[in-house]
Amino acid sequence: MSPRRRTPRRPADGVPIRLYGLRRGTTGLLTAVSALFAAFVLAPLVWLAINATKTQANVYGTAGFWFARPFRLWQNLAALGHDVSGAGIYLEWLGNTLLYAVVSAVGSTVLSAMAGYGFSRYRFRGAGTLFRLVMSTLLVPITALSLPLFLVYAKVGLVNSVWGMILPSVVSPVGIYLMRTYIDASVPRDLIEAARIDGAGELRIFLRIALPLTVPGLVTVLLLTLVAVWNNYFLPLVIFSRSSLYPLTVGLSTLSQAAETGTQADLVPVLITGGLVTVLPLIALFLLLERYFRGGVLQGSTTG
Amino acid sequence: MLALALFMVVPTVYAVWESLHRTLLVGGTRFSGLANYRTVLHSGAFWSGVWRVLLFAAVQVPLTIGIAFFFAVIFETGLVRFGRFFRTVFFMPFAVPGVVASVMWSFLLLPGLGPFPKLLKDLGLGNVDFFSSRLIVPTVVVIVVWEWTGYNMTVLYTSLKAVPREVIEAAVMDGAGLRTVILRMKLPMVAPTITMLAFINTVGALQLFTEPSIMSAFQPQAVSFGFTPTLYVYNTAVGTSDFNLGAAAAVVLALVIGVLSLAAFAVRRRNGEFR
Repeated sequence: MSPRRRTPRRPADGVPIRLYGLRRGTTGLLTAVSALFAAFVLAPLVWLAINATKTQANVYGTAGFWFARPFRLWQNLAALGHDVSGAGIYLEWLGNTLLYAVVSAVGSTVLSAMAGYGFSRYRFRGAGTLFRLVMSTLLVPITALSLPLFLVYAKVGLVNSVWGMILPSVVSPVGIYLMRTYIDASVPRDLIEAARIDGAGELRIFLRIALPLTVPGLVTVLLLTLVAVWNNYFLPLVIFSRSSLYPLTVGLSTLSQAAETGTQADLVPVLITGGLVTVLPLIALFLLLERYFRGGVLQGSTTG
Repeated sequence: MLALALFMVVPTVYAVWESLHRTLLVGGTRFSGLANYRTVLHSGAFWSGVWRVLLFAAVQVPLTIGIAFFFAVIFETGLVRFGRFFRTVFFMPFAVPGVVASVMWSFLLLPGLGPFPKLLKDLGLGNVDFFSSRLIVPTVVVIVVWEWTGYNMTVLYTSLKAVPREVIEAAVMDGAGLRTVILRMKLPMVAPTITMLAFINTVGALQLFTEPSIMSAFQPQAVSFGFTPTLYVYNTAVGTSDFNLGAAAAVVLALVIGVLSLAAFAVRRRNGEFR
């Protein structure tokens, strides 16, 4: 037996790697390569965290990957509450993003659950066609739709309206597809039949029997929509012209424009600190609920 | 029955809602026939953007998927220590908005001031301008690879886990080496996933917008009016307020992507993957 036995790791494919008869050091080498890529992934985030503590002069003047005096993190954070650039207030954008993301996520989860349940459990006329129709809207990307949406909004008065952002985010073909597959797999038909025979109403069956069985699927759709709306840039950029309605992404981009072209001092630290505060909640959420994200990605991998 | 109606109505409304946009945008306020389309199709700026994203996609998509598959397969085979930790780290950029990613990378690569150009200069490689017309596309490739490799890796990893263990075991018992197992067995078995990822990545690449638009705030001369088709759409519609022309460009873009998607769907249907 080789000395490798002292590290009894179980690979995901279940086949012990010593069977391959690899040269010694292969594992070490590949680990080093992975570490290198991890450094590439982490470098910008580390840079962001470090530079959120600097003054504008120090962002450019000192070593990028180490701290410099004076330590300005608290002042930089405080600046997020003021209209430093004339472009708007960061905290307001944060509030908007929270509002858009949470309302859209909840709405899209409810809608996807209902539509998914409908497609999964009822055989009505044209169900197949209708489902294919919903799925075909996946083909047309939101980027290409944003401008047409804006033109419609201009007609119906939804420009610079919160609903203009939320409504399209609520309708999620991916969510419907995920929920349908999830319900297909996790809600036994017999159970529904039994409940019907016992005289339970359709709504009651949906709420009391089907929904509790699909909670992990619901959480996945909720999280995926939350991230998608949190990170959406093009749609709000096109439909909002009033800065008090901006979400974080659009706010930060106007801020970066102001920071680079304006003559005012000290916008760069605000931009960097703002970026950090934008990223942190999502990374935290993601680390806490990683398996749900993976679940969504897994199911997403079987669709498109 | 009520539930039934509800479930039928909701998606139908959505479909109508959807079709509404497409019909309305073509007409615009005044009927002008296909004049806008002619302008778009004859616009040098539009086509240069189209070629640029095609070139971009041709580099970025294989690169992203290649790196993603490499890491997915070495993690899954257990060839790396701390694989779980690495998988979490690699997936993290998925949670970072494109805007923030572009801001970070712009600062890091800023000519003369960013840490990376400084480092290259200290290494004796001279002044490298990542925003120059020669390097801007590779720079955007690096940023997008940073953003999406982890996602692709995670999808491939999950897909690799579905490869039946017995098959691999049997092959190894028969003396198959690591290379054979990875290239001859695991790779073909996840080929459908790779096709799907190639499709998703390509559609994403064709819509490239956030990264160049943020970078133009840092170096305006680096990113032209029609750097990508989506930028062209945005700049014509919002920048010069020619909404009808912008809408026409948006339709052309949507059509191109739609046709690509249909082709991809046809392939997948033939492979029996889509119900």
